[in-house]
Amino acid sequence: MDNSFAGSSHPARYKWRKVAYGGMQPGFDDNHTDDSFLEGMVMNANVVKRNLLKVMLDTVSISQYLCIVTLVVLIWTYTLKSAINVSSLLLLDISLLVLGFLVLILTADMLSLSLLFHYFLNISFFTTGLFLLSPIYHTLTCSISPDSIWALTGSLLILHLFLHDYSGSTVKPPGALKNPNSLNASIVASVLIASRLPSRLHVFAIVLFSLQIFLFAPRVTYCIKKFSFHLHLCFSFVLIAVTLGFTYHLHGLLFVLLLGLLVSVNVLCPYWLIRLQEYKFEINGPWDEAKLCFDVTE
Amino acid sequence: MSDSRKHRILMVSDFFYPNFGGVENHIYYLSQCLLKLGHKVVVMTHAYGKRSGVRYMTGGLKVYYVPLRPFFMQNIFPTFYGTLPIVRTILIRENISLVHGHQAFSTLCHEALMHARTMGYKVVFTDHSLYGFADVGSIHMNKVLQFTLADVTQAICVSHTSKENTVLRAGLPPEKVYVIPNAVDTAMFKPAPERLSREEIIIVVISRLVYRKGADLLVEVIPEVCQMHSNVRFIIGGDGPKRVRLEEMREKHSLQDRVEMLGAVPHAHVRSVLISGHIFLNSSLTEAFCIAILEAASCGLLTVSTRVGGVPEVLPDDMIVLAEPDPGDMVRAIGTAISILPRIDPQTMHLRMKKLYSWHDVAKRTEIVYDHALSCCNQSLTDRLSRYLSCGAWAGKLFCLVMIIDFLLWHLLQMWQPAEEIEEVPELVFHNREESWNVNEDHGLI
Repeated sequence: MDNSFAGSSHPARYKWRKVAYGGMQPGFDDNHTDDSFLEGMVMNANVVKRNLLKVMLDTVSISQYLCIVTLVVLIWTYTLKSAINVSSLLLLDISLLVLGFLVLILTADMLSLSLLFHYFLNISFFTTGLFLLSPIYHTLTCSISPDSIWALTGSLLILHLFLHDYSGSTVKPPGALKNPNSLNASIVASVLIASRLPSRLHVFAIVLFSLQIFLFAPRVTYCIKKFSFHLHLCFSFVLIAVTLGFTYHLHGLLFVLLLGLLVSVNVLCPYWLIRLQEYKFEINGPWDEAKLCFDVTE
Repeated sequence: MSDSRKHRILMVSDFFYPNFGGVENHIYYLSQCLLKLGHKVVVMTHAYGKRSGVRYMTGGLKVYYVPLRPFFMQNIFPTFYGTLPIVRTILIRENISLVHGHQAFSTLCHEALMHARTMGYKVVFTDHSLYGFADVGSIHMNKVLQFTLADVTQAICVSHTSKENTVLRAGLPPEKVYVIPNAVDTAMFKPAPERLSREEIIIVVISRLVYRKGADLLVEVIPEVCQMHSNVRFIIGGDGPKRVRLEEMREKHSLQDRVEMLGAVPHAHVRSVLISGHIFLNSSLTEAFCIAILEAASCGLLTVSTRVGGVPEVLPDDMIVLAEPDPGDMVRAIGTAISILPRIDPQTMHLRMKKLYSWHDVAKRTEIVYDHALSCCNQSLTDRLSRYLSCGAWAGKLFCLVMIIDFLLWHLLQMWQPAEEIEEVPELVFHNREESWNVNEDHGLI
């Protein structure tokens, strides 16, 4: 290959250029490593420096949700043992609805009558639908043995907890679910438990209670968190205390397990995360695939 | 000319003719030029449909289409030791002195290089693509690459950016990596005999219409350019999942008479599509080395491309207009290209390309790499194992185990089928090697 370079009169001191054309650069081997090698590399550009206290405060929302689910399971257990009667359940449902509504109204930025009416209409449709469907749920699992039901419910709840979206961000309200399987699992678990109950009114009350919690709790907790972080913390601690209290009365082992889980989620995991961050090594450079700055709408 | 050292090279990859692509063309053209330099080249790849067994191609290039079924994206199923017998037989039968593997995403290449190292042959590896570090697929691919390159004799990358990327991914010392770019067959890609009239400016796009090649950018850029410049037309060749989006864009902005979609363009017709245009537009989001740009420049087109990967190194600044992968910047770049178009002479560009890129030059530089590789000293198993151990806490030990088992299987095979029983192929001389194939107008891959 003839080295016909334009404008190079002294090939002895030819400057190395980062180009691929023109054949071998005179005076340099092909494996020559210039000083500018890897000068475009950027390390750990997007790594967020985390603070232990902030991470621990953020994990409070995870514990809060765990306690909510535990309370639901407690109510189920008490109802199945017939420790709660129908009327108190219905009272619980109505009070939860009213409380949820209040929270939404009090923490909303804009109070509009049409929005309120819209919510109220949706709730009434929802409740009516459930009431009409409760006879079907009542006889749904007649022929299935109770062991299968408990096993299935347990696994579905664990699946629900596993797949739930814990991001707890106050930027966007929890609208469309990224993974609807978590909600599906919780709804199926509620229906299975409800089908074990003695009367249709029981079924209606329990299904209404469970669905209220699973469908609306994320929205309500989001509103509380957005309104005031301190309120969110107080609410979470009260909830955790109440849950621990009830679990202690129910079963000692369950209490220990729950306490252990909460401690590991709130204390151990943040510490572990901070320790692992030291090993983070993110490499960026001119070889990266370009990111499109606009959204691709299919 | 190195008459003293004639090498016998085995090229290994999953990607070869009848597939068309960057890696396939690279292997073919490099092999042809090495044959012209007097070396012996044999290619090993997997069977393509009914094309299985031994075939001879132009210039006496012997290709082994090993009967292994492709499993995932043209790669064979990774069986670690399943390819050991056939690789050993080919290496002994052809009396190979050096094994050259291509493309990191090729299981056959990794397996063949592993077996070649076990049997004590020198290996050279060429990496043709850029990979990231963050997603699951890349992390595993990089670990596999680290395994192969822990013990490679020399490595070749197709651009300086690719060298940086490979060195980071595999943890190689930079002195072991040579940068030898691809080239273009300037005899095939000649500009149109007469210059096109510049009343209507025609912009050509030929690429697979996938996300990676920036088809989404095209969807944003084309309507704006058509609106800003009323005399511009687009010709889009190629097919892929994003074709639907482009058709929709055409319908939405009523650009049916200004945007022509050709569908998949066979390799033999690429030149005729290119010479019908003035400007070549490349919107890839990542590219180690873009051969399409070379083909366009060889046909005398001015190139507009995204500034990604190794693209800025490929052409001199007066033959290419670079833009950030952002629709606004690309529209601006196309405007600049249209304004400098009168100064471009396709024939001058073609003659410059002949001097800037040549497969013979690539072959000569590769020959230097082979000479260096063969002059490296032999290493025993224990020396090599220490290199593998440094790959990682768990991975290092796993790799050592894999290599030890390979070593034992090799000795077993040596006892079962001794090397003396394998007949060696005699040296064959093909007389048509004498005529210069550059002059041959319609040489093709037949």
